[in-house]
Amino acid sequence: MTGLGSVRRRNASAWLLPNDGQRADHRLRRDMRRYADDDEVDIVIVGLGAGGSVLLQRLARSGWRAVGIDAGPFWDPDADWVSDEAGSHHLYWTDPRVIDGEDPVALGSNNSGRGVGGSMVHFAGYVPRFHPSDFSTYSADGVGADWPLGYAELAPYYRAIEQELPVAGQRWPWGDPHGYPHSPHPVSGNGMVLQRGALELGIETRVGPVAITNGRFGNRPHCIYRGFCLQGCKVNAKASPLITHIPDALAHGAEVRPDAMVSAVEVDDDTGLATGVRYFSGGVERRQRARIVAVCGYAIETPRLLLNSATRRWKHGLANDEDQVGRYVMVQGAPQAAGRFDEEIRMYKAPPPEVTSEEFYETDPTKPYQRGYSIQTVSPLPITWAEHVAAQGHWGSVLREYMRDYVHWATIGALCEYLPRPDNRVTLDEETDRYGLPVARFSYSLCDNDRHLLKAARDKQTAILEAAGATEVITIDRNAHLVGGARMSADAKTGVVDRDLRTWAISNLYVVDGSVLPTQGSANPALTIMALAARAADRMIQGQRAGTPRRAGAEQPT
Amino acid sequence: MSPLLRGPAESGGATPGAEAPERFPGFDVMEEVERWDAVTAGVVLSRLGPAPRLEFFTITEEAIGRALFDQLLDQHDDPRVPVFEMVDARLAAGETDGWRYADLPEDADAFRRSFAALDVHAGDAFATTYADLDWHDRNDLMQVIQQRGSEDWYGLRADRVWSLWTRYACTAFYSHPWAWNEIGFGGPAYPRGYKNLGIDAREPWEVADRSDIDPVGRGDEVEYARRRHAEARTRQLGQADPKGPHGVGQELADRDR
Repeated sequence: MTGLGSVRRRNASAWLLPNDGQRADHRLRRDMRRYADDDEVDIVIVGLGAGGSVLLQRLARSGWRAVGIDAGPFWDPDADWVSDEAGSHHLYWTDPRVIDGEDPVALGSNNSGRGVGGSMVHFAGYVPRFHPSDFSTYSADGVGADWPLGYAELAPYYRAIEQELPVAGQRWPWGDPHGYPHSPHPVSGNGMVLQRGALELGIETRVGPVAITNGRFGNRPHCIYRGFCLQGCKVNAKASPLITHIPDALAHGAEVRPDAMVSAVEVDDDTGLATGVRYFSGGVERRQRARIVAVCGYAIETPRLLLNSATRRWKHGLANDEDQVGRYVMVQGAPQAAGRFDEEIRMYKAPPPEVTSEEFYETDPTKPYQRGYSIQTVSPLPITWAEHVAAQGHWGSVLREYMRDYVHWATIGALCEYLPRPDNRVTLDEETDRYGLPVARFSYSLCDNDRHLLKAARDKQTAILEAAGATEVITIDRNAHLVGGARMSADAKTGVVDRDLRTWAISNLYVVDGSVLPTQGSANPALTIMALAARAADRMIQGQRAGTPRRAGAEQPT
Repeated sequence: MSPLLRGPAESGGATPGAEAPERFPGFDVMEEVERWDAVTAGVVLSRLGPAPRLEFFTITEEAIGRALFDQLLDQHDDPRVPVFEMVDARLAAGETDGWRYADLPEDADAFRRSFAALDVHAGDAFATTYADLDWHDRNDLMQVIQQRGSEDWYGLRADRVWSLWTRYACTAFYSHPWAWNEIGFGGPAYPRGYKNLGIDAREPWEVADRSDIDPVGRGDEVEYARRRHAEARTRQLGQADPKGPHGVGQELADRDR
């Protein structure tokens, strides 16, 4: 394992945070470099979540003149975040969106972030790697898609990001076996229930992997097991790019421009190149010129921005001549099961992400479906728990009675690898938002394989809870995460970006976020998005020495 | 601590309006307020302060909305968790969940249309307004709407409307400290955190659940509701004629403007 010193030498974020009890790096922010709109910067990055923030930090470290623009605030965990469920509503992307299809997917709190740090501000904290098999599901199983790059190319970036977050967990036996820089956290009542049930059934579990400090890391303190990971970590123990990559980016001359909604990527129809972005700030429309534009708005806003940026040359949206933008968006099926125990579980204590099993991740030839699912602890707070109870059809006095029983319930969740489908897509709706921009319409329908997986995962979770001694089990079908919508591909006909995340159509336009994923495995996507961004940054930095970045994609994975 | 911060019940942690026996005797989450960070304490305390004046709902809608949320959350008497006021404030501020179903209008409009439909349904079934129904008749009507599932209900898809109502109602109710007392939830936990993790492990300030109450004994309630629903059917309650995609709900909503 690489020592702390080497992490600090390549990303000093944790050491740049204050050590006086304050959680935000006010001084770095105050002294931040600022560019004028008519400066042509080397890169403007739209969206500072898992992808955009890592890209910003890597490029700033290499001396690039880089500006990151985000629609939401530059959060101060002390002043802006609360240890409260309903009070955290402002962390989510809640501009209007329309959901459609046979199986419409709820957005907002479930999967959509806003502000610097993106949805990792309110993600649970699970950061598993994808398995090597994820990169070639089409060749192996005839479903999904093959990636234009292999696991081996991503592995060094997985390791690097795991050290920078840092990740705590037991040694991982699944996929490509590996260890983690921080030791596993203690397990709460909720995690013990999953361990107990799985043990009874002979299912392997491991504690982790979570991006939550277990011990001091730079100026970030130890986790205090407060249980509000999904409401933004006021402790600075759970990783988000706000504290893991942005401080180092600022220290190396990057500018973060918050509260600025990008309305279009500007393209010169004659040269066919991007020239910068248009954005609203304080009610005024402004432009930032840039040599390269990277769109990092995630699976809904990235396609929406590309579609909203149509010009005379790009009638159907930027980089969309092949009608690929907005297609193959994926969510993971996330059925959750809760069991009632005579003992008090009090699942609100300790972080929701604790224990995982990836035993059912891979294709099992004896099953009627391809690919698989993972199982993890989740632990809903009261408002979310009320959703579980209401999903049973309960309301009124029965709802109240089930809710009174809260301390006796334990909850686990699954992530099912739903398959990419062309008609699960983002298009533009007639409705417009307060900027006058058409809002996204997101349509989703399951296929048979998806439904099989959903049922298998639901049944397995029920079996685990029953084996753990539950006297009653209730289940709810939910969805988790969002990826795809501007997928990477081996050729320009079947995707939007190449393996270096450069759009096939416009040589200085990149997409660096979860929307580039061709498949999703049954792993939480944050770590993979960060690793892809770190790799894309390396490729951009290599390309700068050769003048115009060299087109990749045709070469074989090594 | 100021008595104003406590639940109004004499015994501390009891939740006002609850008809069932309390499970966590004496537990009052507000006892811990001084150990919360100031920003969080401010947000939670504001829920115990005076509710802002109503802005969104009309006077007609107020009568319907109060009755609806009482029914959904089994609140019978004052003092109540001010769910109606909280929903009104959210809608006035346009604080949505960040998405809407393609077959339902934006939340604000969906509330107005569904409230209008409740009155029409009550008129069709009982020849009175929704607010004037007695508790049990209103309960029956709710059960009918819920059981329509994905079918049309006065120009709206019933399960979409049900989801909208329950999401807003539960978010308001279970954000309130009185509701936390009722369910034994510890509330905000920063910067204090938790020390005693594990099964049957409690912090010194957490109160054990009473073991002398049958935990799921109220399953009878479900049976009762189903029985009432069957009776309601025989009274033709369930046969109110839905008017299709441009049904009465829409007509009323248009007329209101």
